Amino acid sequence: MSDWFERRVARALRADVSLCGDERARRSVMERVRVAAAEGHPVRRRAEPWRLSRSSIVGLSLAAGIGGISTLSVVAPEARPGASALSSVVIGDTVVSTLRDTLRLVRLMFDAPDARRVAVAGDFNRWDSDATPLAHEEGSRRWSVTLALRDGEHRYAFVVDGTRWVPDPRAARSARAENGRIYSLLTVSRATN
Amino acid sequence: MSDRIIIQQVLDGDVEAFSRLVDRHYARCARIAVRIVGNREDAEEAIQDAFLRAFKALGDYEDRERFSAWLTRILVNQCRTVLARTKRRDAMFAELDPRRLEFTAAAELDEGGWAELEHVLERLPAEQREAIVLKYADDLTYEEMSRITGAGESALKMRVQRAFARLRAMLQEVPSV
Repeated sequence: MSDWFERRVARALRADVSLCGDERARRSVMERVRVAAAEGHPVRRRAEPWRLSRSSIVGLSLAAGIGGISTLSVVAPEARPGASALSSVVIGDTVVSTLRDTLRLVRLMFDAPDARRVAVAGDFNRWDSDATPLAHEEGSRRWSVTLALRDGEHRYAFVVDGTRWVPDPRAARSARAENGRIYSLLTVSRATN
Repeated sequence: MSDRIIIQQVLDGDVEAFSRLVDRHYARCARIAVRIVGNREDAEEAIQDAFLRAFKALGDYEDRERFSAWLTRILVNQCRTVLARTKRRDAMFAELDPRRLEFTAAAELDEGGWAELEHVLERLPAEQREAIVLKYADDLTYEEMSRITGAGESALKMRVQRAFARLRAMLQEVPSV
C-alpha cells in the first residue's frame, strides 16, 4: 500500500456494512435452503439412492389420496449424527420414504375449471408466481400440488393464468398485505397431522 | 469448527448445519455485494441467491479451494446477474432511484465508512469496481481473484491501479507526501 489515500480506501472497503433486516435475511436464506433440501439438494457427485427427487415425493404423496389442505407425513424429527438420511412413514397402505428433517408434505388444492394455468406463490418460494405450478387433475376441475414445508406459518396465494391472485378458499385464515392483496395463512405443525 | 466439517455435516443430511456457514460468511458477503451492486436491496438478493446456489452445489465443492473463495465466486456471479438486470431497470427508470439515496444516507452513518467513497464507487467501470472490492473488502490474493473473476492476474492488478486512479480523481484527493 503506497500512500495514505490507498490505505484509507482499503480501510473503508473493509468496514462492515449492515444490511437492513440482517436477521430476517438470514432466516430467509435458510427457508429457501430447506425447500431446496426437500427437493433433494445438495446432490453429491456419487449417486445416493436414498436422496429422493421432488417428483418421487409428490408422486407417492398423491398416491395416498388425501384431500384438502392436509399434511401427509411427519418426517423423522430427530437428526442423529451419522444416521442414514432415509426414514419411512406409513400413509394408509403406502410406505413413503422421506428425507431426514422436520418437513411435512402439504397438499394444496384449488378448483378452477376454466384456468389454463394455476401456480402457488408464497413465502416458501419467494412469491415467485412461476416457480410452483399446480397440476391439473384429468377429467376434473381440480388443480393440486404437494409441497414440503417446515413447521411454522406460511403465507401464500394461488395465481391463475399468471395474472390473477386468488386466496385459497379452503384456508382457515387469511390476511391483507400492504399492497391490498389478500393472502392465505397456513400453519404447519405436528398438530395438523 | 472448520467450514469443511460443517460442509460434511450438511452433506450427511444435517441441513440446519448450513446456517452456521450463513452466519459465518454473511457479513463478508454483505461487504462485497453492497459495494459491487451499489444498493442494499439488490445486494441482499444477490447474497440470498448465492447462498442457495452454494447449498445446491455443495456436493461439487472441493476443499482444494477455501470455501470462502468458492462462495465469493458464486456471489460475484450473482452480483453480475443482478447488475445486468438493474442496468436494464435503470435504463427504463432514468430518474433517481430512492434506494440509492437510502444507501448513501445509511453509508454516512457507517462507522469507519467513507460516504463519498461509497458514492463514487458505483461510478467506476464494473470490472474495476469488482476488482478493488475483492482485493480490499475480502483481502483476496490476485491468484484467488483470478479464479473468481476469470481474468488474468496482471489484468486484475491493472484494474485495481486504474480504480485507485479514478477514485483519486473523482474524490479530488491531494496526494500525500
